[in-house]
Amino acid sequence: MHLPHSTLKQEFVKKWIMGLQRCKFSNNNMSIFERKKAIKLSADTAMASARKGLTCWSRALISNPDRPVPTTTRRASLACKKIVKRSRRIRRTAKCGAARKRQITRSIAQCLVRKRTQILKSLIPGGEFMNEVCLIEETLDYITSLRVQVDVMRSLASASVRASEPHN
Amino acid sequence: MESKAGTTETRSNITASDGEQVAALESLQFTDEFHRLILAPTSDNATSLTALLELPASRALELLHSPASAKLIAAPAPSFEALKGNFLFPSNTTLIDQAARSSVFAGGVNNTNNKSNAPETTSNNSTLNLEKAVKSEPAETESSQPLVSDPAVEKRNFKRKDREKKAKGSTKKSKTAANDSSVGPEKLPFVHVRARRGEATDSHSLAERARREKINARMKLLQELVPGCNKVSFNWINRLVTDLIISGTTLVLDEIINHVQSLQNQVEFLSMRLAAVNPRIDFSLNSIFTTESGSLPDNNFPSMVMPLIWPEVQVNGNKQQHQQQWQFDALQQPVWGREVGNNYITPENSLLSYDSSANSGR
Repeated sequence: MHLPHSTLKQEFVKKWIMGLQRCKFSNNNMSIFERKKAIKLSADTAMASARKGLTCWSRALISNPDRPVPTTTRRASLACKKIVKRSRRIRRTAKCGAARKRQITRSIAQCLVRKRTQILKSLIPGGEFMNEVCLIEETLDYITSLRVQVDVMRSLASASVRASEPHN
Repeated sequence: MESKAGTTETRSNITASDGEQVAALESLQFTDEFHRLILAPTSDNATSLTALLELPASRALELLHSPASAKLIAAPAPSFEALKGNFLFPSNTTLIDQAARSSVFAGGVNNTNNKSNAPETTSNNSTLNLEKAVKSEPAETESSQPLVSDPAVEKRNFKRKDREKKAKGSTKKSKTAANDSSVGPEKLPFVHVRARRGEATDSHSLAERARREKINARMKLLQELVPGCNKVSFNWINRLVTDLIISGTTLVLDEIINHVQSLQNQVEFLSMRLAAVNPRIDFSLNSIFTTESGSLPDNNFPSMVMPLIWPEVQVNGNKQQHQQQWQFDALQQPVWGREVGNNYITPENSLLSYDSSANSGR
């Protein structure tokens, strides 16, 4: 299941170049944000197809590549809601006994874990349909491919900056 | 037992003939009774006392502080004293061996023994101190006792070896352990993985139960080691540990989430940067390699992050070089004109202008 890093890189670069060439022929004058979107889309799709549909996240990414990335504002509002809920719960439990309180603390701890799992599910493409074990495996795989993607993109960016420097 | 009673009587007579210290006498009687009470059930305690006496002070302290190993260590030392010529225990290695063994195999049983053993050793020490304060001679009683208890000690050593074998056997199958306990007349220490009623007997759950019990045994040891932990209930510690585990899980999850988010942000940023640096999408690798291979020596390429994919890409680049060149010449300027005409007000604007000046300079 786990390909070595270099072969994954090769696959990714090949697919990405193909995708970029297709983008090139479609439209020539785009705004910078359109270009950025096209580049990111092609990179994501190339990354997903480099895994050859072996993993859940790649399949999900290919089937729905325009998935909105969860923004920070959305999560902030979510956190606010959670805090309000917790404060309400604490006020409610102030009346209860020690044993009940202990139970509540444990449930809060489990709630923390659940919350993080939820966030992780929203981060991983197709994570909504995974159970916990599957989620962790997919996350590992996704992280390795993301690293590859970042590596390649960074080297490409630096190379293109070097290429467009005035000394040639 | 009778001899012990006799010695205590004589000792009390001696102190009575001193006659001056009334308080000392009272304390002595108290300690004697205490001593007798302690010595009555088992002879092991006497040997452990002598063992403690013979050991150097630092190790004795260690033993007192770790009641789990106190009993185990007590066994080889007297036998070493008694069977002087026959076989010498290298006391340190045996100590380590037995400590390890006990912690691994006979966790449950040792645990039950520990509880009874721990207060006794400490009380022994206190009586010892008292006796020294009174300055009676405790040497008699204690030198006589190891001789009495020697065979018992030897037996115990053998027992322990048996116990080892049985424990090894019983880790897998609880049935054999049950058989051993029914056959052996003496209390057998086995790993406590017998399936009770209604519990699963497959190997996985048995192993799981053994693991849990080992953890519980360690917990109890910890409880005895840490001062002030006796008051704390076992449940509380258990809860604390589960809470710690949960908090560790949350920490790990936090790290993972942060990492994934940072990587995704990096991808966003890099795609933005690529879009900013290159006027058109067809920048890809070809344009870079055509420009670079035209002007710069090849030794620049290994400095890039992906030396492994280089040959393949170069082939690609050479194939489409002429086409690329054509695109460069024909399409570059018009596109630039359009883009500059759009007048973006972005932070990348400066980059773009820099880029355009470079291109037009060529």
